[in-house]
Amino acid sequence: MLDILDISKPFADMDRPVDIETERAIMRWLHAEVRYLDAERYQEWLNDFIDPEIHYWMPDMETRRRDDPRGMFAYGESAYFDDTWSELNIRVKRYNEPSAWADNPQTRHLHQISNIEINATDDPTLFAVHSAFTNVRNRNEADQDIIHGRREDVLRAVDGGYRLLRRRVFIVQNVLLSKNLNTFF
Amino acid sequence: MCEGDCKGAAKGRPNMKPVYPKAGSYPDFAKLVDRENAQVDRRVFTDEQVYQAELRQIFARSWLFLAHESQIPNPGDFVRTSMGEDDVIVVRQRDGSVNAFLNSCPHRGNRVCMVDAGKKARGFICNYHGWSFGIDGALRGTDGKVYEKDETFEKAQIGLTPVAQVDSYKGLIFGTFDPDAVSLLEFFGDFTYYLDIMLDNDEGGTEFIGGAIKSEIDCNWKFPAENFVGDILHAFWTHQSGAQAILGGGVDLGKRYDELAFQASIYGHGIETNLDKVGNTRTLGYPDLVDYAFELSEKAKDRLGELRARAIGAVSSCTVFPNFSFLPGQNTFRVWHPRGPGKIELVVWTLVNKNAPDHIKEQYRKGVMMTFSPGGVFEMDDGENWEYSTRVNQGFVTRQQPLHYALGIESADMERDLPGHIHKGSLNDANQRLFYTRWAEFMEHDNWTDLQNGATAAPKKTATAAE
Repeated sequence: MLDILDISKPFADMDRPVDIETERAIMRWLHAEVRYLDAERYQEWLNDFIDPEIHYWMPDMETRRRDDPRGMFAYGESAYFDDTWSELNIRVKRYNEPSAWADNPQTRHLHQISNIEINATDDPTLFAVHSAFTNVRNRNEADQDIIHGRREDVLRAVDGGYRLLRRRVFIVQNVLLSKNLNTFF
Repeated sequence: MCEGDCKGAAKGRPNMKPVYPKAGSYPDFAKLVDRENAQVDRRVFTDEQVYQAELRQIFARSWLFLAHESQIPNPGDFVRTSMGEDDVIVVRQRDGSVNAFLNSCPHRGNRVCMVDAGKKARGFICNYHGWSFGIDGALRGTDGKVYEKDETFEKAQIGLTPVAQVDSYKGLIFGTFDPDAVSLLEFFGDFTYYLDIMLDNDEGGTEFIGGAIKSEIDCNWKFPAENFVGDILHAFWTHQSGAQAILGGGVDLGKRYDELAFQASIYGHGIETNLDKVGNTRTLGYPDLVDYAFELSEKAKDRLGELRARAIGAVSSCTVFPNFSFLPGQNTFRVWHPRGPGKIELVVWTLVNKNAPDHIKEQYRKGVMMTFSPGGVFEMDDGENWEYSTRVNQGFVTRQQPLHYALGIESADMERDLPGHIHKGSLNDANQRLFYTRWAEFMEHDNWTDLQNGATAAPKKTATAAE
């Protein structure tokens, strides 16, 4: 397996920038993806943006001493998401139920992304994409949750477009300062 | 300053002995729970004075969950947690025992441990002035040896304040700040009969896997505690969407509900179960886990008897008073730490049998994440209910209104040969009434004799396991 597909391995130096045309195409993909998430178009997101072989992982951050070899997180430890396509599909099915009360009334979403870097990899069909995000959820009158973090994505070129093959989501919080995560990142 | 009661101390040398607060009595607060009318006054969820009384009467006296033995296997291994709002370090000693200490330097009070957990620590050093403590809590030295050069300084009597009593039950470590508290086993009473459903259903014992997930919910700590002590009712409505997503249908209590389902309560600890064998395990979404639960249920009949073997994976939930809860079959264990009357920090772990196959452990880890973590399809819909149940009581008139805890007031089961207060049917407020009755006992009584001999104590009957 390519290192880049090993979920436990962070991206190496982002020193292989892609050509401007590829960069534009992937930027458009990234912006379209978060627009779908903002609109809670989860089924279309799953169908149109996510590769059937997706590995979607968001570990839980721990506070540890710098000299602790376990670090802040590790694959196989506790996580918020560690999903295959069928597991993401279960989450989407819940959103599709009218009795998903945490989403009814509707939540107002904003996914803002920045710090985008797009790199080529040893496989010409795969691209390493780094981004930072601000995720805002607001519901009812004044309930607001804000989460900041970074994403390390691997996109696969498929049929003239792209699919998300791997995503690592790193948030900056240890104690999650929210009651739930009724969104994707 | 030392004024005579500290023998041998030099004049003016401070007495640094640990202080364990004495309980009081709050009969007015105890009356907020109306057993006659099965009502609870909403002030128990919002009033700051009630909350301060809870910290004194309940959290400074009860045995509180600290850690699982498997989290700290070796000397110097430690985790940081809370007892009420008190920050505590739980650390394995060189002789294999476990101690716990307040995470506060006796010099200026700063935390001496800033991290969630660590392995093989030699001690804890305060970042402020470099006071350093061994894993036994004793002061070992100070930065630059300034104090050591002061001949009036006696470090032998200075240390981190120990949690007054620490003990464990089948892998779970508990502590209490009350030196006079009854033993952990007496605090449980015969409720260990029910704890063993999860803690002793297979040889080899249990362990926590992965780390802890922590989150904040803006609710009073008692709403989730009462939810797990005996509220399966909410699952049908609150969790309809999650059940539909995973099971393709609603929550199912099994075909033999009328015959089998019950609630049991002792000293405010409570479990509700439907004895349907695998209903909870099924919601994790992995067929292999259901097979495992069925096999375990068969095998466990020898250890636990027929009835408890049926409970291992059944639709069920449990709270150990005051704030430690778990779901049999789904294997999520959690503490609802109070953070003021209107806020909690929730910490969740996953428990498995040590000798379960690795792929089964992995499916429990992922299954708990999918269901009972902040992004889980069940837990997702709990938080907002508890938040608004708490928050609406800011309304002056709203909080004068009674709350209804009267489901199943005539459902006591005097015949079934099981430990504790038994009520028929899991769809029942019985355990919640007894949870608040226990709460009121803690508000009322300043001593353990009264605490252990009130209405929540197991009724007198010869009721050890019939099996």
